[in-house]
Amino acid sequence: MTLHAEVTVSQLCKKGEELCGDNVQVTRTANSVIVVVSDGLGSGVKANILATLTTKIASSMLARGADLDDVVETIAQTLPVCRERKIAYSTLQILRIDYDGNATLVEFDSPRTLLSRAGHVIPFPAQPRTIGGKTVLAGQFELLESDWLLLVSDGVIHAGIGGLLPLGLGWKGAADRFAEDVGKAKDTADLCTSLINCCEGYYLGEPGDDTTVVAIKIRSPRRINLMMGPPAAPDRDADVVRSFLAAPGQKYVSGGTTATMVSRILGNPLKVSLEYDDPTIPPIAHLEGIDLVTEGVLTLNAAADRLRSLADLKRSTRRDGATLAARLLLEGDHIHIWAGGAVNPAHQNPLLPSAMNIKMQVLSRLRSQLEALGKIVHIEWV
Amino acid sequence: MITVELCMGTSCHLLGTQELMDVLDALPAEQRRQLEIKGVTCFKNCGKGPNVRVNGVLLESATPDSLLEVLQTSIEQLEGITNSAGN
Repeated sequence: MTLHAEVTVSQLCKKGEELCGDNVQVTRTANSVIVVVSDGLGSGVKANILATLTTKIASSMLARGADLDDVVETIAQTLPVCRERKIAYSTLQILRIDYDGNATLVEFDSPRTLLSRAGHVIPFPAQPRTIGGKTVLAGQFELLESDWLLLVSDGVIHAGIGGLLPLGLGWKGAADRFAEDVGKAKDTADLCTSLINCCEGYYLGEPGDDTTVVAIKIRSPRRINLMMGPPAAPDRDADVVRSFLAAPGQKYVSGGTTATMVSRILGNPLKVSLEYDDPTIPPIAHLEGIDLVTEGVLTLNAAADRLRSLADLKRSTRRDGATLAARLLLEGDHIHIWAGGAVNPAHQNPLLPSAMNIKMQVLSRLRSQLEALGKIVHIEWV
Repeated sequence: MITVELCMGTSCHLLGTQELMDVLDALPAEQRRQLEIKGVTCFKNCGKGPNVRVNGVLLESATPDSLLEVLQTSIEQLEGITNSAGN
């Protein structure tokens, strides 16, 4: 069974610093999601460079299939030495979650990763091992749907130290807080906000250390099927539409000709709206059995733009096709694009502005935008 | 009633469907009431957009003026029929 790891990162910078000395890289490959957290020595720009170097080396090596041992060894040998402290140092947490649920963890000098299952919170099972002369904790575990994981930097463990909490929040305090929040949070963004606000509160708004929270939730992937354009061979229309309709997840049909084809095969009438919510986006249409029907290239091109600014998208109350499409796509984890190979006569019109992107360009723009948001996009030419 | 079907497809949209919609919206209420306006995805005449179909007759490369002209004729015809029926 394919699982999805929803990942959210929240950070606080040490008081007076503009850069965070903790760094997190989340990389999604074809088979797994790789989360790398590093806390660089000190704070500010030096710590940020150390941490970024560590996470970048680790995530790029792992994404190319390198062995975890090699990654730790490479980092141990590559980090620059701090002039003041005469040591090369940053902490390291690497968590790789395969889409079948198998998770592998390596920790070096970091707070223990937490695992929550069915209301119980435990440290992620791991044993000490020596790699490249360094003692690390390494472990493997089979994750299930509804499991939560929490990776934190020591800024969380030390929250409130010497102030509100004489010894700081501590690992136990963080674990208790995590256990309490897991029951209430509807998603990882919720959990991150709650935990980071808690830390900021204990620090009285003046964090004494860079503070990072990475929350991960294992759930079944939300699937979106997007059909754009009729198949290259007209005699395949019915077959392709039927498999599109049978695919699990929400359905989005983009393009008038495609919508007419789906409506014909589905046997439900297509009702085209006359409302222009945004003058640059053609009106949407309604078709029973399909979650969203919009015009094609213009709408998807604008949807890709809307996805570049998530804050604006969330604030927007617009109901135009591009906003609705962007919202729908944002909800998905796995986006299957059924791209029809039929040539659209409308795109051959010499009177059209040359800036109008053809289908392939629009789709590749949309794909890179969605991938940047951590979505898994599969384009199938039909 | 006069049926006005506007193409909402990509090509017609870019070539000015919205201006046609604006013209229809700006008609005096009395005339606007006589129109049944519908959206259509494509008339398969993308090369000669924007396309509008008025009472089943396709008007290609429509402009606000050409649409108004066609509508005026249709409204007059409709009124002629209503008047003669009244008489």
